[in-house]
Amino acid sequence: MLQDLGSQDARKTKLIAERVSRHGSMDVVHLGDADMYQMAQLGVFEEVDLKAVPNAATIIPKLRKPYSIPHIFSAQIILYNPDKVSGVTGFADLWDPKYKGRVAIPDLNYAVVTFGAALIAGGSMSNWEPAKQKLLDLKKNDPKIYPSHEQLAAALKTGEVWIAPMWLARGYMWQKAGINLAHVVPKEGAIPIVFEAAVPKNAPDKANAWAYLNAMLDAKAQQGFADRMGYVPTVSDATLPAAVGAQIGFSPADQAKFNTPDFAYQAKQLPAILDFWNKEFKA
Amino acid sequence: MNESGRAAGRPVAALVLPAVVLVLLMMVAPMVLLFRYSLNIFSPTELMIQALTARNYLSAVTDPYYLAVMATTIRMAVLCTLIALAAGFPAAYTLARMRGRWKAWLTLATVFPLMVGNVVRAAGWMTLLGNAGLLNAALKASGLFPDPVQLMYTPMAVALGIVTVVLPYMILTLASVIEGIPRGLEEAALNLGARPLTVFRRVVLPLALPGVVAGSALVFILCMNAYATPILLGGPQFTMMAPAVYDQFVKTTNWPFGAALAFILLAVTLALTLAGRALLQRRRHPA
Amino acid sequence: MTSLSLDGLRREYGATVAVDRVDLEMQQGELVALLGPSGCGKTTTLRMVAGFVAPTSGRVVIGGRDVTAAPPYARDTGMVFQGYALFPHMSVAENVGFGLEMRRVPRAERGARIAEALRLVRLEGLAERRPAQLSGGQQQRVALARALVVNPAVFLLDEPLSNLDARLRAEVRVEIRALQQRLGLTTLFVTHDQEEALTMADRLVVMQGGRVRQTGTPEEVYERPADLFVAGFIGSCNILRGVVEAPGAFRAGAMALPCAGGAPGERAALVVRPERIAIGPEGRLPGRIDLVTYLGGTTEWHVTTDAGALRVSQKTPDAADPRRLLRRGDGVMLDWRPEAGRLLSDSNEGEQA
Repeated sequence: MLQDLGSQDARKTKLIAERVSRHGSMDVVHLGDADMYQMAQLGVFEEVDLKAVPNAATIIPKLRKPYSIPHIFSAQIILYNPDKVSGVTGFADLWDPKYKGRVAIPDLNYAVVTFGAALIAGGSMSNWEPAKQKLLDLKKNDPKIYPSHEQLAAALKTGEVWIAPMWLARGYMWQKAGINLAHVVPKEGAIPIVFEAAVPKNAPDKANAWAYLNAMLDAKAQQGFADRMGYVPTVSDATLPAAVGAQIGFSPADQAKFNTPDFAYQAKQLPAILDFWNKEFKA
Repeated sequence: MNESGRAAGRPVAALVLPAVVLVLLMMVAPMVLLFRYSLNIFSPTELMIQALTARNYLSAVTDPYYLAVMATTIRMAVLCTLIALAAGFPAAYTLARMRGRWKAWLTLATVFPLMVGNVVRAAGWMTLLGNAGLLNAALKASGLFPDPVQLMYTPMAVALGIVTVVLPYMILTLASVIEGIPRGLEEAALNLGARPLTVFRRVVLPLALPGVVAGSALVFILCMNAYATPILLGGPQFTMMAPAVYDQFVKTTNWPFGAALAFILLAVTLALTLAGRALLQRRRHPA
Repeated sequence: MTSLSLDGLRREYGATVAVDRVDLEMQQGELVALLGPSGCGKTTTLRMVAGFVAPTSGRVVIGGRDVTAAPPYARDTGMVFQGYALFPHMSVAENVGFGLEMRRVPRAERGARIAEALRLVRLEGLAERRPAQLSGGQQQRVALARALVVNPAVFLLDEPLSNLDARLRAEVRVEIRALQQRLGLTTLFVTHDQEEALTMADRLVVMQGGRVRQTGTPEEVYERPADLFVAGFIGSCNILRGVVEAPGAFRAGAMALPCAGGAPGERAALVVRPERIAIGPEGRLPGRIDLVTYLGGTTEWHVTTDAGALRVSQKTPDAADPRRLLRRGDGVMLDWRPEAGRLLSDSNEGEQA
């Protein structure tokens, strides 16, 4: 059983490069949901073998997919420094002139930040067009854009910036690391991200790959992950301790309002979104 | 070469052949493949559609954004090469003229930074230059600058970061050439009445020119392709070519366009390197 | 007029003393050779004159000006380096013109002086060549021309002949000397080759262990060596150890030998040059021949005597001369004039001044 621990982007690139080859180098591939969708469209994955992965029966129904299993999930929320910021309710607060120069934007999350902007500007997960003007307006608030999540965390810690859209799981880890942070689930609904695992068609050892996927869905493993990394379990039989659940979980009401990405639309639009992000928003 | 040297050349050629084949396979083949990709058409759903089109190249060279990124890259590379040359020459000279134990230690000290990855070094600069970094803490303590001075995410931070990455290459290249210049030539010039600066200008520099050309070319190429340093120290708003190529390959999986950008970067780097070399060579032999 | 004077020059490297108490006065137009084995301090002395090595103490005075603290470029010396140190990226003319350019000589005058210097060293027509295109002898002459074209107050030569083959060396030796005399150049010359020093120099400075052992004309140094080191280093000599019996009589073993002067009872070494010893059927010192070496113009005989082994060197005798028939094992008599037997203090060779 081979587990590839390269970066997510490197894994994706490797999948593409190997897709015509009969013998791949990976048995199991972990990717974010959008990337997973894109790769699945290229036909590189086996359909999940439900007999070989009995734990798949416990997957939360909304997260079920034919080509992958959901491992963990989180969602984009608004993270802030409670000493400096109060009364935050949603994405729109990033535009509040009170926070001029104190808004942090993670460069890596360009797509999900763009859709967040689209949601409060009259767009949707299937229409990012309105986000353009909204993001150009955000530039007036002098947002600080960070090339890595770690740099953004360091800036939050020193008080250089006060407020940022971020995965809740990251916020949880940083809080555990001693950074003074609070979060709010935006009233327009959070955008979830599911980290998924799948088995390539050219995997060398499929039997073990399915067993590995099954283990990932094990309730105990999921609880451990939640406590350490701040990601929410994807199976119905993994219950979190109340304290942890309050910090990283999403209430049924929050979950009902999740803005699930339109993967087909997003895959088509991604080049245009990145172009806009690089050429106009960051310029 | 004499007869025997030429006769001995044939078996030598046979010996190096496997190495040449290996190099061709490992370095040229990926380039050919990449070039082929650059002529394909991108599709968000199918990634690459086989084609023979110059469209990727055309859209890159007509896009003001990429022209600006290329201009930034060239400006930064030229600046860093010049700084590395100016800072590296005295160091290389000292190293080349040093003897004994000290020389070994100094050489080791020069090579040492190469053992630390670029990312780690950039992280070091980040703790130094950040708004709550050491430098700003010192400035604040001095009382002259009560508010943090923006040092990170500036072109200056990138230049500083890149120069420290490439400086060892410049120093070692220059030092190996300067070591080949007999000390006696400098003494001869001094003896003939040349002051130290004139000795440098008329004797050391012209004879070190091959090193200057080689070191500058090497460093310029490294600067043109800088990746980690501009991302980490320049911040998202400062874009150079290598990160732009990476974005195309990895963030949008647009391989054809990324490949085209890579080849444009390669061509520009090569052209500028050759032009720079010709310029320096002409200075050496004024016609 | 004094052109160069060295006054108590001393140079230490850490705990080692490379040069100690070197004094020298050179007259205008004089050629002085610094002579000694390697490591004797001769090159360090030359480099202190050129300004490449700072003396630990002492003074260097060139043309009446104290230049001890002056940098090399402000000293007005012209140096020919051992490896010539020609600028490889400049033509012959540019090499020769470099010193003139540094002295801001106008271009037109420069051309004329370069041509004149190249004519002096017989390199007309090679002005546009690069050093790499010249033979060793030609490079050596370019180095000479480059140093003398600026009319330096002192001309410095650091083993200038050591990179030439034997035949060329003899030729260049004569050439340099002729040039030096014609131009009246005050020249300080470093060499380890005693023949070179004897044939070229007006005066020799024999150095050993950082110190001057003797200064004098070639004749003085050869005929009247100051000590056993000088006697042994310049030319070859026979050394016999013994006691002075009476003025003019030296006892070595069972023999009384002729010598010049001496105080009775003094322990001493008797030094006799091989060519001063007569060999034949008559003489004061009997001996037996060990070896005969025929060298063409001269012949050498190695003879064992009661006073010790002696080497004798004479013009090869005529065919009719009975000495031509001397062979190993033959008995002979040796003799020399009293003034050829020089008494020197009997120290271990060269251990003290």
